[in-house]
Amino acid sequence: MISIEQLFIGVALIILLSVFASKLSDKYGIPALLLFLFLGMLAGSEGPSGIYFDNPWLAQGLGVTALAFILFSGGLDTKWANVRPVSGFALLLSTLGVAVTCIVVGLAATYLLGFSLLEGLLLGSIISSTDAAAVFSILRSRNIGLPDRVKNLLEVESGSNDPMAVFLTIAFISLLTQDANPYTLFTQMFLTQMALGAVLGLVLGWALVWIVNHIGLDTEGLYPVLTLSAVLFIYGVTTFANGNGFLAIYIAGLMMGNKNFVHKTSLLRFHDAVAWLMQIVMFLMLGLQVFPSQLVTVLGEGLLLSAVLMLLARPATIFIFLTFTRFTFKENLLIAWVGLRGAVPIILATFPLLAGIPNAGHIFNLVFFIVLTSVLFQGTSIPVVVRYLGLATSRPSKPRYALEFEEGQGSEATLMDFIIPYNSAVVEKAVVDLKLPEQSVITLISRNNQYIVPTGTTLLQGGDVLLIILNKVSVAEVNRILFAPKPH
Amino acid sequence: MKITDFLTPDRVIADLSGKEKTAVLDEMARQLASSDLILEPAACLRVLQEREKISTTAIGEGVAIPHGKLPNVQRVSGLFARSLKGVDFASLDGEPTYLFFLLIAPQDAAADHLKALARISRLLKDPALRDRLMAAKTRQEIYDIIATEDQKF
Repeated sequence: MISIEQLFIGVALIILLSVFASKLSDKYGIPALLLFLFLGMLAGSEGPSGIYFDNPWLAQGLGVTALAFILFSGGLDTKWANVRPVSGFALLLSTLGVAVTCIVVGLAATYLLGFSLLEGLLLGSIISSTDAAAVFSILRSRNIGLPDRVKNLLEVESGSNDPMAVFLTIAFISLLTQDANPYTLFTQMFLTQMALGAVLGLVLGWALVWIVNHIGLDTEGLYPVLTLSAVLFIYGVTTFANGNGFLAIYIAGLMMGNKNFVHKTSLLRFHDAVAWLMQIVMFLMLGLQVFPSQLVTVLGEGLLLSAVLMLLARPATIFIFLTFTRFTFKENLLIAWVGLRGAVPIILATFPLLAGIPNAGHIFNLVFFIVLTSVLFQGTSIPVVVRYLGLATSRPSKPRYALEFEEGQGSEATLMDFIIPYNSAVVEKAVVDLKLPEQSVITLISRNNQYIVPTGTTLLQGGDVLLIILNKVSVAEVNRILFAPKPH
Repeated sequence: MKITDFLTPDRVIADLSGKEKTAVLDEMARQLASSDLILEPAACLRVLQEREKISTTAIGEGVAIPHGKLPNVQRVSGLFARSLKGVDFASLDGEPTYLFFLLIAPQDAAADHLKALARISRLLKDPALRDRLMAAKTRQEIYDIIATEDQKF
């Protein structure tokens, strides 16, 4: 029996290695998730450290938790204003599109690999959703400039299609284990799952924003604790009520991210960190869960299904739904290629294991193999494909200034812009001589296409745009000083 | 950032019909919203008025730069307007305001917003340019004067 200290050291080392590995991925263009997965496989029972891990129950529990936090953070970071123009297409792709992919892969598995129709469709449903984490990390980390609408569509599609894949997987498992009428099962289950998920996500997300804004906690550190537990609560309650918990979480995140609330910047950052940790933990664990020697046995079948998914199912889905839209042929090709699979299929692949489906082990290995090839081939070739299709746009590097300001609850400080009148008495005066009231600081001067961080001796000019942090009660006084006319 | 990035000839009003502050703000907001379809005139007017409450944006010499931020707009949007009669915009010198540059920026584009404001205030600082803008006969002429000057710096 190893001691808790030894366990800490081991876990910390693996996670630290994962963090360093992400650095490697930035440099050499290998998706970070793939590295985490390999680290997990290395640490696993068939690697040098030989950790034996074969616990689908734990893998699923951790996987579901991780996915909930990743989807919440994804929702928080999605700017509704950006995705609104493409939201209709995204909705089509993440519902009917997922179904088309599922059917094409399912039929291929049935007729090419000899699965039963239901098992084939189960396999198809498990790998039918694209992975938000994989798509985001590849779109963002490698400085790939994509046309805005393509990027926005891919982001919102990958964030929102997991609930449908979860739904299909659960539905096919029910059909395999129970004697149910497929037609009623699908319609009833679909309606309850999606409707409850959406409604509870909206209501609970709204309630969460309200609570955060009104609870008035003295300690800032308790706010993340509040949202952390809210994520678990929203998922738990929705799933318990037979709704789609992942949909609820994503919608709650989306709703919260597009409203104003106290400590927004720090909460967003916190959930970003949680999402990263969850991704690392999840992929490491999934790497542990797989046995490479078993993967080899599905090499041929895996490659065949991967090819069907990448070259037939995904392109078919995209061209069915996007051909007669404002997306061009080349853009559609690109969207079809950025159909990365990720952790969700692997987590979903543990569902049949737990449900006791006879072919579950085989399905798990196949799914794992398909995800691996998808990230490996599609993930690493996206920059080349973007350039080959001539869709690369240069991404402007944004200079960062301390322009963000977080309003604390009950705080009297605020950030305001003022334009110095051309004929103000303060023109040609030094900042120190303005005699601004206490607790008001000029943080930045915007003048002649540049920003000046002022010191006491900086001279003001007419037409300068000042960014001032000030106490709300001082607004009138600052106004009086800046808007005093120059004496004749 | 250039002024012509967010100003187009259809976003110029050669002579405002409004005579007081709210009417003029409303007139400008409507014209801008009719050219930039993402904007809602009522929302524009509201943020502009909120900003005017903090302090007037009339910065003397007959110039005002009403501005505000809105959460669901994509990019900085501007409109230039002229009032031949002049409008009382609560300027520091008590003089009427003739030249207006309205600016609406996305909520999270603080950097672009400040840059655009500074560029506008610098453009309208030049007395000779202000005289030419007052003398211009059509909105296209007004736009051309601004666009030409905009290329110089």
